[in-house]
Amino acid sequence: MNVQVGDSIPEWVMESVRPERMRTMAAILRDPNPVHWDRRAVAALPFGIGERTINQGPLGLSYILNMLMEWAGPTSVRRIVMRFPQVVLDGDRVIARGTVTAIREENGVRLADCDVSLSREGEAPSLAGTATVALPPE
Amino acid sequence: MAEIQPPAEEIRALVGHEFPGGKYTIAHWENFLLTECTGSEPLPGDLVHPVVLFHMPILGAGTSIGGMFALGQAESDFSIGIESYDWEIERPLHEDLEYTVTGRVTEADRMEGPRRNDRPGVYDRIQFRFELHEPDGGGFAASSTITWTYRRSAS
Repeated sequence: MNVQVGDSIPEWVMESVRPERMRTMAAILRDPNPVHWDRRAVAALPFGIGERTINQGPLGLSYILNMLMEWAGPTSVRRIVMRFPQVVLDGDRVIARGTVTAIREENGVRLADCDVSLSREGEAPSLAGTATVALPPE
Repeated sequence: MAEIQPPAEEIRALVGHEFPGGKYTIAHWENFLLTECTGSEPLPGDLVHPVVLFHMPILGAGTSIGGMFALGQAESDFSIGIESYDWEIERPLHEDLEYTVTGRVTEADRMEGPRRNDRPGVYDRIQFRFELHEPDGGGFAASSTITWTYRRSAS
């Protein structure tokens, strides 16, 4: 796999964040927070979001993982560090993006450090962070 | 100035708190449903989607999301914010493998200032670190470091 610093990782798009997936996720996570499954509870908050549930942070993060795994393989992700400056809401169309910032070798494995993000088209990132990915042999 | 509850000393004293620890095996159905939630096709073989690194360490360590809210004396579910998640994967995770899980509080302090999507104010910043090890004395597999904020209102 020929990768160079500055390369863009192919985008991964979630066409519509679905509330039923948040509910399944909440059940598996045993997550009691109603912002992920009760639209009226979200509407009552002073955030001006309206009746839309808030996507779990790990779900937004998973879209970035999907992008990285489709690019470099299903066992490639070694580390991901993510911050969450904005929320992702049900119905949002969000795009995972990444750029290679460094390539190095560690214990015989070629690693790519990347800046990664998740955002609605034309907006500032809802999630932003870094990832380290093991690259397949060239 | 109005008093903030709980006292900052109680929050700072959480550093070093250890969860009971335990074992966790990721079943196929759990991996399948989680992966579907991410919008991905199932990964090949028995590979587990790394999104499992949020809830599996928490439950495997013998706590829960609600338990972590309670440990930090959250005023409500709505008072919690995410600062960051840091996941390290030394070895890919597999279904039907019994992982040993440990977890503890690594940082806890009172802060003041703006949080995401929120007005400026007082909040507590608590960091949890969980580690997974493979069975039968196997090595370190993965870790999850969760940093949450707990908004406080004056009483």
